[in-house]
Amino acid sequence: MSVPILEARNLSISFGGVDALVDVDLTINQGEIRCLVGENGSGKSTFVKIASGVYRQNAGTVAIDGVDMPSGDPGAAIAAGVQVVFQDLALFGGLSVAENIAFSYMLENRTRQVSMTKMSELAQQALDMMEVRLDLEAPVSNLSMANKQLVAIARALLLDARLIFMDEPTAALTRKEVNRLLEVVEGLKAKGISIVFISHKLDEVFRIADTITIFRDGHKVGDFEAGELTQSDLTFHMTGRRVEYPAYQRTPRDTDGVTPPVLEVRELADRGHFSDVSFAIRPGDVLGLTGLLGAGRTEIALSLFGLNAPSHGEVLLDGEPVHIRTPQDAVGRGIALVSENRQVEGLFMEQTIGHNISSTRLDTLVNRLGILNLHRERELAQSAVAQMGVNNRNIDTLVGRLSGGNAQKVVIGKWILTDPKLLILDSPTVGIDVGSKAEIYEKIQQLADDGMSILFISDEPEEIAANCNRIVVMYEGAIVNVVSEEERNQPNFVEVLSQMISEPTTRVEVDSAAQGGSQA
Amino acid sequence: MKSPFRAVFHRRSTPVERYLTLLIIGYAILVTSQNPRFFSLETVFDLVHEGAPTMILAVGVLLVLVSGGIDVSFPVVAITSAYMSIKLMWAFGLDTMAFMLPVSILFGTILGLINALLIHFLRLPTLIVTLGTMAVYRGLMAVLLGTSQYPVAQMPKSLAEFGLLDIVSVTRPEGVYGLSIFLPIVAAVMALTWFLLYHTMIGRSVFAMGSDPEAASRIGVNILRTRLFVYGYTGALAGLAGLIYYAAVQNVDPVALSGFELMVIAAVVIGGAKLTGGEGTILGTFLGVLLFQLFQTTLVQLGLASTWASFFFGAVLLASLAMIYIRQRRADQRNLVFRVG
Repeated sequence: MSVPILEARNLSISFGGVDALVDVDLTINQGEIRCLVGENGSGKSTFVKIASGVYRQNAGTVAIDGVDMPSGDPGAAIAAGVQVVFQDLALFGGLSVAENIAFSYMLENRTRQVSMTKMSELAQQALDMMEVRLDLEAPVSNLSMANKQLVAIARALLLDARLIFMDEPTAALTRKEVNRLLEVVEGLKAKGISIVFISHKLDEVFRIADTITIFRDGHKVGDFEAGELTQSDLTFHMTGRRVEYPAYQRTPRDTDGVTPPVLEVRELADRGHFSDVSFAIRPGDVLGLTGLLGAGRTEIALSLFGLNAPSHGEVLLDGEPVHIRTPQDAVGRGIALVSENRQVEGLFMEQTIGHNISSTRLDTLVNRLGILNLHRERELAQSAVAQMGVNNRNIDTLVGRLSGGNAQKVVIGKWILTDPKLLILDSPTVGIDVGSKAEIYEKIQQLADDGMSILFISDEPEEIAANCNRIVVMYEGAIVNVVSEEERNQPNFVEVLSQMISEPTTRVEVDSAAQGGSQA
Repeated sequence: MKSPFRAVFHRRSTPVERYLTLLIIGYAILVTSQNPRFFSLETVFDLVHEGAPTMILAVGVLLVLVSGGIDVSFPVVAITSAYMSIKLMWAFGLDTMAFMLPVSILFGTILGLINALLIHFLRLPTLIVTLGTMAVYRGLMAVLLGTSQYPVAQMPKSLAEFGLLDIVSVTRPEGVYGLSIFLPIVAAVMALTWFLLYHTMIGRSVFAMGSDPEAASRIGVNILRTRLFVYGYTGALAGLAGLIYYAAVQNVDPVALSGFELMVIAAVVIGGAKLTGGEGTILGTFLGVLLFQLFQTTLVQLGLASTWASFFFGAVLLASLAMIYIRQRRADQRNLVFRVG
C-alpha cells in the first residue's frame, strides 16, 4: 500500500473550554471514498476545517503524503492538493460557469491578463475530467443546485485537488441529481482522487462509501467497512442509542365516513405541473405524497397554500368547495405549510427564535389599539420551544445560529401555534441529523393522533413508510400508485415503496395484498 | 452562425441592451419626424461634446456598482480635483493642459483611495462613507480654496481652448460644426475600462467581489487591493471628467454638478447595472447615458421645455426597472420560485 494521502494523529481542539475534537486519528488512502457521519456537533465539520487549514488544532498533526502540514494554513493545504467544497459553495452568481471554474486557478497562478477563450478551455478541461457537460457561458445564478455543485467540484479539480472534502453536497439535491453526483464522485475515485463525503442521508453513505468513519461528541467511534454495518448499527453508533422509527398507526374514529374529510382534492390540475390529482385526508391521517423530481409534489402543496393557482379541479375543506387565492387566505382557513426551503421561505434568519415563533400569532397578541403584548409574546414563544423540544431554550437566540434540526422545530412550532386543521410538511427533514429527525417524527405522529390532518411530502421512502398511514406516489404530474393502510403494513414495504418511486412506470404490487384502488 | 453582436462583443447581448437600443431608435425616429434636422452629424457632434463628462463619470459609477458599492461622492471629487488643479496651475503660473490634466487625475485618484481606505477599514456601507466624504471634500475645498466662480473670460485660457478643440469639422451654410477632442478621450476611457474589467484579473476580481464578497475573499481575492483599484480608478476618472466638464461648459464653478450623482447612477442603472453588485456592462452604461443626454438636449425639438428632461428620464427609469422586475417575477412564478420583496 502506498503512503496514505492524509494521516491525522491525535487531533484535539477545543473552543471556549468545550472539546470539539478529542484525540482523533484518521487515515485516508489514495482513491478512497470516505464518509464521515455523526450528528450535528459531533466533530466531523471541525475535522474538515483542521485538515484544510481553516482551524489551528490544539494538539496533534495532519500529514499529507507523509509530510506534516503547518497548522492553520489554508494556503499550504491547497498547495498540497486539499480542497473543500463547502455547503454554501462560494460561487459567483453573476459570473459565467467557465469563469467560476477557472477563477481560483488563475488567481493561484497569478494570471494578470484574462482571456475568455483560455478560461473556457480550462473549464472544459475540468468538466471533461468529471465527464459532465454544462453551458460554459451561462451565468451560475441560472443553474440548478446540482449543477452549481458540479461547478464547485470542477473548480477544485482545476487546482489539482487530490483530496476533496464535500460538506453535505446532497442536502439540496433531488434523488435523480444525487445519483448523477454520486456517479461523478465514483468517476473521480477511478482517477485516483480521494473524496471525503459528509452526509446525513445514510442510504447515500452506504451506496458510495468504501469506509465509514463515525463521530460522536468529538470522539471518533471507529472506521467501518461499508459492508460490515447495517443502517441501524450506524444510527446506534452515531447516537449512542437505538433509534427506531415506529410506524404510525391511525386510530379509527367515530366520525369516519360520517363527516366529510378535512381536505378533499378532486381532479386538481395545473398546466405543466400536475393533472387529475384526487385524494382525501381525514382527521388523524398522515397522507404521504412522494415521487421523483418533477412529480409535482411541491407544486400541489403550493396550490393548496394559495401560491400556485390550479387551472382545473376542486379543493374541498370540510366538504365545502373553496378557492384559496393567497397564503393569507390559506392560513385563515386553517392550513399551515412548512415549506421545502426552510432558510429562505420558512424563517426570518436574522430574527430571534421568539420573534419567529410569534410571527404567526401576532393578531392574538395585540390589544385593541394594535399594541403588542410583549410579555404574552414571550410566554407563547417559550411554550412552543418547550413543546417542540428545541435544544436552545433561550428564545432570544437568533434563528440563523440554530442547527437545521432546531431551526425546523421552530418552523413547525410556529405553525402549530395557529392550531391548523391541515398541516402540510414539504421535505421537513432535509439536512437534519438522525436524532432531531426522530424527535420531529414523534411530534408529527402525536399531532396526527390528536386529530390534525397532515400532508407529508418527501422523497425518502423510509420516512414516508414510517410516518404515513396512506401514501400517494406521483410521477411527472400524475398519480401512479395509491397505497392503503393494509399495504403499508407489509413487512417489505420500504423496498416496495422505493421501487414505486424510482421505477414509476412498472406497476409494483405489494406481495399478495389486494391492489390499491385509484382513489385514496 | 454568429450573430453580428457576438462577432463584435464576443458575448450575448443582454435584454436591457436590446430594449434600450430599440427605445433610442424609436425616440430618434419620433424626434426626426418632428424636426428632420435632428438626423444629422451636428446632433451627433453636440451629443459628444455635452455628454462626454457624464459618460466618463458613468464609467466610474459602473465600476463601483459592479463591485457591489454605491458612490455618491464622485461629482464632488470631479469638481474638487479640477478646481484644485486650476488653482495650483495659477500658483505655478503654468497655463497648460499638460499640467492640469495629470494633476486633476492624480488628485481624483487620491480622494478615491481615501474613500476605499475608509470603506475597508471602517467596514461601513459604501453609501454612508461616500455621503460623508462628499460633504468633507466639498467643505475642505470651500475652506482651503475658496468658492470663487470664473467665467470664460477669467478661466485658464488653455482650458477654455481645450473645450473648443475639434478633431474634424464640417462646414454647413449655417455655420461650422466640429467633432470635439472629447470623443477620442471618452473612447479611450471606455476601451481602457473594458480592457481592465474583462481582460485583467483585477477587473474580474471586481465582478467576483460584487457578486459575493465573502466567497471572493475565501478563494483568495485581495479585497483591499480590489477596493483600492475600484475607488482609485473611479476617482481618476472623476478628476478627468471634472476638467472636461469645465472645458465643455466654459465656466469654472466650484459648486457645479451638485445633485448630479443620482442622475448618473440612474443612467447606469437604466443601462442594466445592478445595485446589488456583480452585474453591469459598458455598452449598457453607454446606452443609458445616451438616452439621458438625448432627453437633455432634444426635448426642445419636440416642443417641450428642457425642464421636462428629468420627468422623462425618471419615467424611463421606472418603466425599465418595472419591466426587468416583472419579467423576473413572471419567470420566478413560472418556476415556482418565491423571493422576499
